[in-house]
Formats: sequence, structure tokens, C-alpha cells
Amino acid sequence: MAATLTAGAPARPRKLLASRRTRVGILYALPVVVYLLVLFVYPIFSTLLLSLQNADGSFTLHWYADALTGVNLSVLFTTLRISAETALLSLVFGFVLAQAICRLKPLLAGLAMLVVVVPHFVSALVRTYGWIIMLGDKGLVNESLAWAPGAPFRLLYNELGVVIGTTSMMLPYTVLLLYGVMRGVDRRLLAAASSMGAKRVTIFRRIYLPLVAPGLASAGLLSFILSLGYYITPALMGGPNQTMIATLINQQVTKENQWNGAAAQGVILLVLTLAGLLLVKAVTSLGASRKKRSAS
Amino acid sequence: MMELRKTLAGRIALTAVATIILLFLALPIVVILVTSFSNNAFAAFPPEAWTLNWYKALFADGSKWPAALSLSALVAALSTVFSLIIGVTAATALTRSELPLRSAVFALVLGPLLIPQIVTALGLFLLFEPAAMLGSPIAIALGHTVLAAPIAVLILIATLRGIDERLEDAAASMGAGRLTIARKITFPLAAPGMIAAAIFSFITSFDEFYIAQFLSSVDTVTLPVRVYNSLTFEIDPSVTAVSALLTAFAILALGLVALVRWIGSGRQQSLLSVENTVGVANPGGDAV
Repeated sequence: MAATLTAGAPARPRKLLASRRTRVGILYALPVVVYLLVLFVYPIFSTLLLSLQNADGSFTLHWYADALTGVNLSVLFTTLRISAETALLSLVFGFVLAQAICRLKPLLAGLAMLVVVVPHFVSALVRTYGWIIMLGDKGLVNESLAWAPGAPFRLLYNELGVVIGTTSMMLPYTVLLLYGVMRGVDRRLLAAASSMGAKRVTIFRRIYLPLVAPGLASAGLLSFILSLGYYITPALMGGPNQTMIATLINQQVTKENQWNGAAAQGVILLVLTLAGLLLVKAVTSLGASRKKRSAS
Repeated sequence: MMELRKTLAGRIALTAVATIILLFLALPIVVILVTSFSNNAFAAFPPEAWTLNWYKALFADGSKWPAALSLSALVAALSTVFSLIIGVTAATALTRSELPLRSAVFALVLGPLLIPQIVTALGLFLLFEPAAMLGSPIAIALGHTVLAAPIAVLILIATLRGIDERLEDAAASMGAGRLTIARKITFPLAAPGMIAAAIFSFITSFDEFYIAQFLSSVDTVTLPVRVYNSLTFEIDPSVTAVSALLTAFAILALGLVALVRWIGSGRQQSLLSVENTVGVANPGGDAV
């Protein structure tokens, strides 16, 4: 690319040109950097600061102690539990669906992908409302299960409803991620194992699974992290026992005017998320090295 | 995959389960679309009778929906402009220059997409509340840009990477200045990506809930917040019609992005083929 710009003025010294390209880079990067420092980084730092302050501005850990006891602690556990259930379910569904799509002919695979991608761009509120209509006592699901003993089933305003709804929100992420991972598996490795007489189960267990395992781990972690800070679906489809940490933050700010407590909850959520992201990073680099090793 | 395909029965089972999972994704949307025309918007599905009443009620006197819709449209339009300015400059810096601390800048751009939106929303609330800017369309748009701009940057980075730099090199070798290259080569080729970035920024802001919820005031409420309130606190069957319109809007926007992308890929190909023709007609010329 440097050659592009030299072409017009070949006599100009290279070093000067490089510094011009650096200046252009800095100038053009300024808007995004300044914007995000002011409206993203600074607000998060002030959240952190607020979570460590009393009303008079003195230092305290009270809000963290408060966030980690009593009702607040049980909200944290509920959040972790619902996120884990959601992650597990979207991982299983995602694995099966991605497997199935991998085996379809291109046209059908494209159509199936459309069914995965389009809902992802439809408002989560709208999709949640669709679930509420579907899972009600007279909804589509209960109407079609009317023959079953015990019908109508209680599918709304409990944990089952929340996990069903939230899983459908996270599923597009896991399907897309796993589909990419599965397409990236080098088929020659499977063929090589087969030519050496390995059985299908063995190939699946010893070659295929280890190759996709890092992808599975990061897809699961990703949907777990995304669920942690999510509350649209849990708040609309859950009952009082399904309050999640994000709902709590919202309530503390809008109803109780309790900013410090909300800030502490926010920081806890942030720390959990960052820990999850570090795990994703570790798992991904593990996957890269494993792939390299098995290919060599 | 091959190793799972043990029997025909296994294959049929996998297809059946996959179909159920696809229904799991698609049905909520289908149900909303159908219910918006049902005379009983809350209880039963499938509907017993059909009506357009919920759509009519949207624009009836005293309805709060038009105000929420116009606020959301204004906020999304502002946010799209901000995101495009930030997106174009940032993507140029990250793909067409030598940028110190490049990976740090890239990490900063990814930040808002990775950390929980509720945390960003809380931080923005702490920023705008003391400034008495709650309920201001500008504040909500500035907040939404924090989420929309990174998406615009990512789309535009992919766009600029996808433009064959040989075209820019060729123009430069023929003596075109940087400005001419930007105007005549890079911009026309990047235009489809810019339109896609604009559409995604608009959808991101238009659909955004957490930030809008925190930065709204009692009188100024965006459409998603209005939908949420309507589902939580009150019974307004028009919410089905709003939901159906939002769904149609999302599908339309995605279709538009696909169309623009398709036109764009044709454009670069035709430019590249012109380049090839020049190369053939000019065999002694520099290889580009």
C-alpha cells in the first residue's frame, strides 16, 4: 500500500511518508477513540468509583457487601443458574442444528441459515411477546398438547418459560459460531483416520470432538456471558423468583434511586463478564494450537 | 457430519430435531404476525376471527404510539449519522494507515459489543443525569452510538478490506491524486458497505432497549421502551400491531442490505474486469 502513495511522487523519502501515514492514522482514529473514551470508558469508570463511595463521597465497601448478601445474593445465584441453563440448552440445540445444516445441500442450508439469522434481527421484545402468546394457557403449545394428561401446562411466569425464551434469543449466536467451527474442520483428518481403520465412533470421539471442543466451549461461554446481563425476556416471562441482576440494577436506579448499589451490581456483572471473556480467549488459543498440532 | 450418519433412521431423526429447532426460532415471529390480525389479541392462538382494529388504533387520537415512533426514528437517524462519521474515519484509520496502538484501538471499538449493555446504560445514565439530559433525543442518540458505531466500524473494515487495493494502486500509477482516488475509486466501491453500515446502525438504535430505558424520561419514551411498558404495566392490544410492524421493518431492512451487497459485488467485479481489459490491451504496461 505504501507503494500506492509513492507512485505519485517517487522522489519523496520513505521515512517522511511513513510518518505522514501515521499522522493520517492518528487523525482518522481520533473520532472513535475520543467518542468511546468520553461516552464508554469514562462512564464505566464513574460507575466503578460510585460503587466504592458513600453518599458523602467517602470510601466504602458497603455496597459490595450489600450486593453479596441476602436477597441480592440470591438474585446473583438466580442469574448464574438461569444463564448456565440457557447456555447449556443453546449449546445442545446449536450443536444439533449446526450439524444438520452442515449436511444439507447448499440451497437448503442457505434457507435454514435464513431462519437462524432473520429472527436474530427482529426485536427481542417482539420475539418475547411471541413466546408469551405461544406459551399461555390457551396458546399454541398448550392447545396442541391438550390431549396430554395434566394440560394445560404452566409454561409462563416460571423458570421454564424464562429458559425457553432466553434460549431462543441466544441460539442464533451458538448456531452461527458452531457452524463456522464445523465448516473449518479439516475433512482430510477424518478421512486419514478412516483410512487407517478407525471406526466412526472412534473418529468422532478422538478426532472430530477434540477439534470442535474449543468451539463448543466458546459458544457455550458466549451465550452464558450474554445471558448474564440480559433481562428483557426474564423480566417479561419470569415470576418474582426469576429476577436477574440486570433487572435489579434497573429497579435500583429507576425505582429506588439507589445509584451506589446499582453501580456495585454493575461492577460485579462486569467482572463476571470479563472473566468469561478471558476464558473464551484462553479456549480459543487452545483450539488454535490443537488444530495446528493435529494438522502437522 | 459423516461420522454421525450411521443409519437412515438416524438421519431422519436429526432432520426432524433440526426442523423443530428451526420452528423454535421462527414460530414466535410467525405468531406475532398472525396475532396482529386476530380479533382476540391476548388469549387464543390460532385466532377465531380477523380484524385490522389494532392497526387502526395505532394512529387513533390519544394513542401514544406515533410519538414513540417519531422519537425512535429521530434518535435512530441521529445515531446513524454519528455512527457513519465515526465508522468511516475509524475504518480508514484501521485499514489504510499506519496506526500506533492499533490493537488497543481495535479492543476499544469491540468493548461496547462485549460488555453487558445494562452496564453501559448505567454508566451513560450517570453521565447524562447530572447534565439534566434525560429524555433528550440527542442524549439517547449519543448513547445508542456507543453500540451502533462499533458495528459500523466492523462492517466498514470488512468493506475496505474487501476492496481490491490494486484498483487504488492502478489509479495512483496513472497519476490520480489521493482525493481523486478516494472520490472515484474507494468511495463508489465502499458505498454499498456504507449503506449496510447505515442500515445496521439504524436498526441497532431503533431496537435498542437498555440505554433508551435509562435515558428516557416520563414524556419522552422510545418505541421499544413503550412496547416493554405496554407488556409490563398495561393492556394495549395495539402492541401486537406495533410488533408486527417492527418485524416487517427488520425483515425489510435485512432484504435491503442483501440487495445492496449484491449490487456492490457486481460493481467491483465490473471494475476489475475493466482493469483486466486494460491489462490485455496494454501488455507492456506495469502489472498491477
